[in-house]
Amino acid sequence: MARRLPVYLLIDSSGSMAGEPIHAVNVGLSSLVAGLRQDPYALESVHISIITFSNTIEELFPLTPLESVQIPELELPRSGATHLGEALETLCMKVEENVQKSTPTTKGDFRPMAFILTDGKPSDLQLFDEMAARVKQMSFASIIGCAAGPKAKSEYLRQLTSTVVTLDTMDSSGFSAFFKWVSDSITAGSQSAGVELSADNGTLPPPPAEIQLAI
Amino acid sequence: MTNVIRVQTLDGKTIEFVDEIVGSGAMKDVYFTPCKTKVVAFYREPQDAASRDRLEMITGAYKDRIFDAPGGNYWREQFCWPEHMIEHEGKLGMVMPIYPEHFFFEYGSINNDMLGIKGKEKQGKWFASSNNRERFLDAREKGNWLNYLQICLKIARSVRRMHAAGLAHSDLSYKNVLVAPTKAQTCIIDIDGLVVPGKYPPDVVGTPDFIAPECVATGHLDKHDPNRKLPSIYTDRHALSVLIYHYLLLRHPLRGDKVHALDPNEDETLAMGENALFIEHPSDTSNRIKLDNVRESELPWKDTDKLPYTITGPYLSPLFERAFINGLHKPNDRPTADEWETALVKTLDLVQPCVNSACTQAWYIFDNTKSPSCPFCTQKYEGALPVLNLYSSRDGANFKPDNHRLMVYRDQSLFPFHINRQLVPNERLDDKFRKRVGYFIKHHGRWILVNENMPDLSDVKSKTPIPPGAHIELIDGLQLLCSKDVGGRLFVVQMVNN
Repeated sequence: MARRLPVYLLIDSSGSMAGEPIHAVNVGLSSLVAGLRQDPYALESVHISIITFSNTIEELFPLTPLESVQIPELELPRSGATHLGEALETLCMKVEENVQKSTPTTKGDFRPMAFILTDGKPSDLQLFDEMAARVKQMSFASIIGCAAGPKAKSEYLRQLTSTVVTLDTMDSSGFSAFFKWVSDSITAGSQSAGVELSADNGTLPPPPAEIQLAI
Repeated sequence: MTNVIRVQTLDGKTIEFVDEIVGSGAMKDVYFTPCKTKVVAFYREPQDAASRDRLEMITGAYKDRIFDAPGGNYWREQFCWPEHMIEHEGKLGMVMPIYPEHFFFEYGSINNDMLGIKGKEKQGKWFASSNNRERFLDAREKGNWLNYLQICLKIARSVRRMHAAGLAHSDLSYKNVLVAPTKAQTCIIDIDGLVVPGKYPPDVVGTPDFIAPECVATGHLDKHDPNRKLPSIYTDRHALSVLIYHYLLLRHPLRGDKVHALDPNEDETLAMGENALFIEHPSDTSNRIKLDNVRESELPWKDTDKLPYTITGPYLSPLFERAFINGLHKPNDRPTADEWETALVKTLDLVQPCVNSACTQAWYIFDNTKSPSCPFCTQKYEGALPVLNLYSSRDGANFKPDNHRLMVYRDQSLFPFHINRQLVPNERLDDKFRKRVGYFIKHHGRWILVNENMPDLSDVKSKTPIPPGAHIELIDGLQLLCSKDVGGRLFVVQMVNN
């Protein structure tokens, strides 16, 4: 079996995302998949799973080969908390269950990538702290956080990863630039094929101008 | 409405471009000129003095060295070479030709272009991956095995030319070599990163899959560490061998099923670096591809028993052995681009059309057996098959074998470079030597050579001349003297009857 590159997208579906933000995310996800399908490297290895989180956690679909992925419309509850901690717990569980580990005789999958998009802050703080520590111990190839809109708190995402981008506005142009970057990162990931080179190489592509990297 | 910006090139020409990014690479943003016949590419980051100097050389002396030499025009289609250097708002850039139309998908993918790739660049990866080719590409985009041999020849030739000028590309990969299989055309792009040994160091390491093992193995060291191995002509040779192997056999020569480490990144780094091992190594079989792990769409290519590298024939096989067995960890032993070019030219004379009209590859290489068959579809050749063995003389009296054979098939042509050892089919060949001098046909079950333009052609044993316009039947043991010129060839006919 050719090595798969597992890509997990964790999307905030809490009530505050209603309206333009969630539409923009829907559009962004569809164009992400359509764009990746035009990349012959990504088609070889990328498998995608989407998990949404509000007060409930939903795995929209498990790891699916890029060519078979169909993006459903994301629907939102009217209100609701942001259970990011629980979402991370689900992510860890799914990675444990579904990412193939190598054995002495068979090759496993590449290290997974995770993208986490939220417009708020975790409401299950205790679980979040616990899970943030656990996520850091799992060997993700990269985790990228996106704090969207004025209420998003990037400091929580920074507990998970040093790569956090912030979107000042939650309009479609911001999201589309973000998803373009996600796409470039996945493409780079599928091309680098895990070969580790010195620090100046194999890094993520620079984020687009519309997005600020939280420092 | 977008703006058109007018700038002066550093060599004093005026160029305009439309202020709208049409594409972005790893380091550059690309813009069209208003007439879309050229592109302008700017580095996003400021470039240091050495990079500026290099770009000046690439658009100046190096360009002239290749394009102004005899046969220089040939290279205009083989390279997308930066023509002028420009500077605008503090950013360094270059003017380049656009890619010819045949390097963009005309039909794209199956099911009415389900992937939406029509009009996109034909990156080599689409064609080098069996999975992509079989599952997604429209049949009209794929090309056949003869096309891929021709593509490999063109790539080898272009790399040979760069190396002959003392330049290393440093990042040869499917991405940086565009291919148009159905037209058997190639174009080397991203030339601004080229490396001049001792002068301009590389700024990229290369693309995984193509990085030489010594570069991967020392990739963790600092760029200035004396033990760090950086891209060079030697590492280009590795990349070229991988490209050729990959295009002809649709699998990577080092990607087998050996597990080098449990961590996937460490495993990849070892598999492509320090522990790199040929999947078809004759004695160490530990990196063979396990068929249980292979996708349906990757067969028969990943079945190395069914399609071993030896199906590439007697000239390419030893080069693969040198590239991936002896020279894999010994850069000095790797075959040169020049050797690949010569071997590919000779290999193209060994092709035979498959008699199975449904065969997807359509062509294969004569396997030197008495009952040849197509390795791709297993169809056997039927009937008598003439093989011409080429000899030539240094003194006009003694003819020695050239280790070169020519297979005969319907409408196969004879060219001046077949009948004279001193002529080589490459960019320097004069136009007058590019015209056909004879051809082969099968008539009432007999193979005939028709002489069109070989004034000296004669049957050696009977000393009978066969003047232009005349013809002769090919029979076993027939000896034909083609030319009395210096380097003139003598053919000895062998009939493979089955």
